[in-house]
Amino acid sequence: MAEKDVEICFKKETISRLLSSFFNEDRTKLSGDATLLMAEMLKIFVQEAAVRSQKQAESEDCDQVDIEHFEKILPQLVSSLTGSTKYSF
Amino acid sequence: MSDDTDETHQRLKAAVHYTVGRLCQKIGEDHRREFSRQVIAAIAETTFRQCDVFAKDLEAFARHAKRSTVNTEDVKLAARRSTALSIYIQNKSEELTQEQRDLKKKGTGKRKSRDTEEDSRE
Repeated sequence: MAEKDVEICFKKETISRLLSSFFNEDRTKLSGDATLLMAEMLKIFVQEAAVRSQKQAESEDCDQVDIEHFEKILPQLVSSLTGSTKYSF
Repeated sequence: MSDDTDETHQRLKAAVHYTVGRLCQKIGEDHRREFSRQVIAAIAETTFRQCDVFAKDLEAFARHAKRSTVNTEDVKLAARRSTALSIYIQNKSEELTQEQRDLKKKGTGKRKSRDTEEDSRE
């Protein structure tokens, strides 16, 4: 059996508690599968943020990925989630 | 009650920070460029805040469907704005469903169905 890299992921319980803590109503619950999917989604969010920040650092010829690189890519990252239209005139 | 929430949030933030750190470390290794501690903290904080946005959306979607339990359909809706993300989540969702079907076929009665409502409130 091929050795598999231990996959880094968010713990189901962490995500469950985290999302639940933000619900407005006490009665709102989260199904198990929904929790797992959200864990995946958040992982992708982090990976996108990290990879884009890394690329930004690379384009600036920096040895280290720093906050300013993240800040530069953040607007587009967020708009990719909210689907804001890019305006160009 | 708000004290509890603060403490819970602190612990949850720490848990998020830990996983974010590990993910960044791996990506840093892959690209041979280290992530500073500040940027890891910033990504973790942003992720944490994004959860608030997602949670409110999920709750609204479930409520709109007259449900009190958020399910995978709600998650798919939350991902709808990004095509790539939508497709990825759709595939993952099908994977999960397939896994469950396989488990049922094997007849592993002991394993709790992941689809059951879980009490996620402390």
